[in-house]
Amino acid sequence: MEQSQVMEGVVKILTPWVKNDEALQAVSLETNILDDLKVNSARLVDVVIAFEDEFDIEIDDEDVDTVNTVGDAVQLISSKLG
Amino acid sequence: MSDAPVALVTGGATGIGAACARRLAAEGFRVAVHYRSSAAKAEALLKEIPGAFGVQADLTVAAEVDALIKELKAEAGRVDVLVNNAGYNVNAPMLSMSLDQYDAVSAMARGTWYLSKGILRRFMLRAKSGRIVNISSVVGHTGNPGQIPYTMVKAGLDAFTKSLAQEMSGREILVNAVAPGFIDTEMTEELPSEVKDAILARIPQGRMGNADEVADVVAFLATRGHYVNGSVLHVNGGMYGG
Repeated sequence: MEQSQVMEGVVKILTPWVKNDEALQAVSLETNILDDLKVNSARLVDVVIAFEDEFDIEIDDEDVDTVNTVGDAVQLISSKLG
Repeated sequence: MSDAPVALVTGGATGIGAACARRLAAEGFRVAVHYRSSAAKAEALLKEIPGAFGVQADLTVAAEVDALIKELKAEAGRVDVLVNNAGYNVNAPMLSMSLDQYDAVSAMARGTWYLSKGILRRFMLRAKSGRIVNISSVVGHTGNPGQIPYTMVKAGLDAFTKSLAQEMSGREILVNAVAPGFIDTEMTEELPSEVKDAILARIPQGRMGNADEVADVVAFLATRGHYVNGSVLHVNGGMYGG
């Protein structure tokens, strides 16, 4: 899967949880999920489960700790897709 | 794979756990009977319960919990109800108890936390529903000499119940506890007769409870009790009202 397709899927999944629409309009690989998009940290697990379902992968808890930006999520998912 | 909802009962081979396994099976669950060292008892119980399967793990070892979650995923693909019943006790007054004994008893708090996290993460959050029933104890409320770490773990389990119910806010995942009083099981058989007599004198119903009476309340919380959440239900013949 192309990185741009993964990025598109990631942004689609994040959108319902985003509290800062301006940051979403300007979303890039560098956008921070919690700080910029203002996704509630308590709901991050729902986002991760949606990533697993959408891309048919399994993400370990340790991997989740490495995800801060949209780019981190795209990179992690791409690595799982092989 | 069967379509039946799945209930995991930890420490399910004996006593209250076995009664919960039988009762949940009667309620239509496919039951996963967890055990640590009671393999023969688990095997005997599994023969009684159609469709049930056994899972072995030391819940105080994270890698064994991880393996248990993988096994449940492969074998059943779902866990709808988790009954955190497994416990461990050493009877000794504080001044003659070693730190190693303390650690062995208190390790169950960590194990219950880690297993619950895994079951939520891999099954219940994805299903957007689930029931967790923690088996605590009246002694977590009243105290009991010779059982300081055990009473700490059980009191902590009730606090765990309330906190997790709040963390699951906005989800159809209900978390409750059942706090049995003195129940006639292998664990209470070990008590000296003078201790038993003293206990019976404190129970308005004048007798010990039996494991089926606890399982009945667990089944209520696992299948009905749709607006009961973050609660501790006391099952103790009236010796303590909460």
